[in-house]
Amino acid sequence: MAFTITCPVCGIRRGYEFRFGGEDKGPMPPEESLASETWCEYVHMNNCIAGIQKEWWFHRDGCGSWFTIYRDTTTNQQVENR
Amino acid sequence: MRLKSNSNINGRLWGWDPPLKSSYDAVIIGGGLHGLATAYFLARHHGMSRVAVIEKRYIGFGGSGRNTAIVRANQRTQENLPLYKEALEMWPVLTRELDFNLMFYNCGNLNLAHSEAALKAMRLQVASAQIYGIQSQLVDPEQCKTLIPALDISDRPRYPIYGGMYHPPGGIVRHDAVVWGLAKGAARKGIHIHQGTEVTGIGVKNQKIVSVETDKGKINTSRVLNAAGGYSAALSYQMLGIRLPISVLTIQAMVTQPLKPLLNHVVSSGAYHCYANQTLKGEIATGAHMDPWPNYTNQSTARYIKHQAEAVTEFLPCLKGVKFMRIWGGLADMTPDMAPIIYGNDPIKGYYIDCGWGYFGFKSCLVTGKYMAKFMADGTCPNILKPFTLRRFEQHRLMGETAAVVNYSPDN
Repeated sequence: MAFTITCPVCGIRRGYEFRFGGEDKGPMPPEESLASETWCEYVHMNNCIAGIQKEWWFHRDGCGSWFTIYRDTTTNQQVENR
Repeated sequence: MRLKSNSNINGRLWGWDPPLKSSYDAVIIGGGLHGLATAYFLARHHGMSRVAVIEKRYIGFGGSGRNTAIVRANQRTQENLPLYKEALEMWPVLTRELDFNLMFYNCGNLNLAHSEAALKAMRLQVASAQIYGIQSQLVDPEQCKTLIPALDISDRPRYPIYGGMYHPPGGIVRHDAVVWGLAKGAARKGIHIHQGTEVTGIGVKNQKIVSVETDKGKINTSRVLNAAGGYSAALSYQMLGIRLPISVLTIQAMVTQPLKPLLNHVVSSGAYHCYANQTLKGEIATGAHMDPWPNYTNQSTARYIKHQAEAVTEFLPCLKGVKFMRIWGGLADMTPDMAPIIYGNDPIKGYYIDCGWGYFGFKSCLVTGKYMAKFMADGTCPNILKPFTLRRFEQHRLMGETAAVVNYSPDN
């Protein structure tokens, strides 16, 4: 089945219109007295869940919104926001 | 896709099905090429044969049997070059040692440049390889045409050929044969290969590995190697809480119907995101596209079939009208710097990792297995593996290997 993503502005669109923006890792750590390890955790480290994960997408070829969705990485299907 | 443990593939390859013992000196998670090679060298070089290879599906199910079988040593950075050089030299040696025809065909690799900038980048890559005694040279479009007469070096393609980088010692190896040869060789030395067995947990006490839990029972061990390929990062996080700088993408490849010989070198093009070689059966094997978002689907996509047909027929127009026979996907564990993570004993003593190979896992399997076995046997990291530490990411010492290949990842 085709891979689609629901944009909060444009609705259901083809997956190829979007750019993946990374796993959702919460807010950026504060820059003040930021340890190298903390920054590395935030920038590079991933959970790589084989299953449902919360992640960022950018509607590159559309409205330009950044938003999070839940997607099953084993099927590429977006699932209901929880 | 589980094999019964009494499946006769074991019978044909190594004669018997070993029982799962309650204790091993080392447990290797993943019956792919890196896991099997490490097991083989543990037994061959270090006298460690009380070793289990635990494979959830069957040996070679993952990237080991899904890659496009290309081998080469013309990487870009000083950390990577010695490793790949030795890797390339090991194919003929292992063919004899395993008494198994790995079908190493050193037909040479031609990498095409389609701009002045690409040619400049190749100049650096060629010079770096030559410093390490690796045969690599720049060639002009006419020389490209001499090497591969089917190439279109005219101004017709959207990205005309400006030149190339020719690497004579590279080529292709039959990847299934390597899986079977290593499995047979390891089993002959007493290694237990357990197919259809899933690791469900890893036991840690006082920051030391004590056991591995499987769906067939618990194994006591002080050493475990995570060589689970595409699943290595998920496994590391879920079972030990250790996150890795990896994104897992499905990489796709395909083969055409068999043709008479026309392509006697591996040809690749960064600009077209495409590489191709003719297998010994006559098929043109070509790849490799990735949909740039992490997934574990192994899916192939219609979008890619079209892209691949367009790309490969731009520089090899004689392939127009040829039909694709098969398309498949495999999981690639990509790191931000396109170099692997080979690490151990930190933060958990006895926990070793060999992953993050992206699309370089096939060509590197023998040499990594050799040195990883040494690492696991005596507990100290061999110098050749030291640059691939997991700690390089927090030290901001990422390697410059990204420039050596088509740069796909969810990060760009």
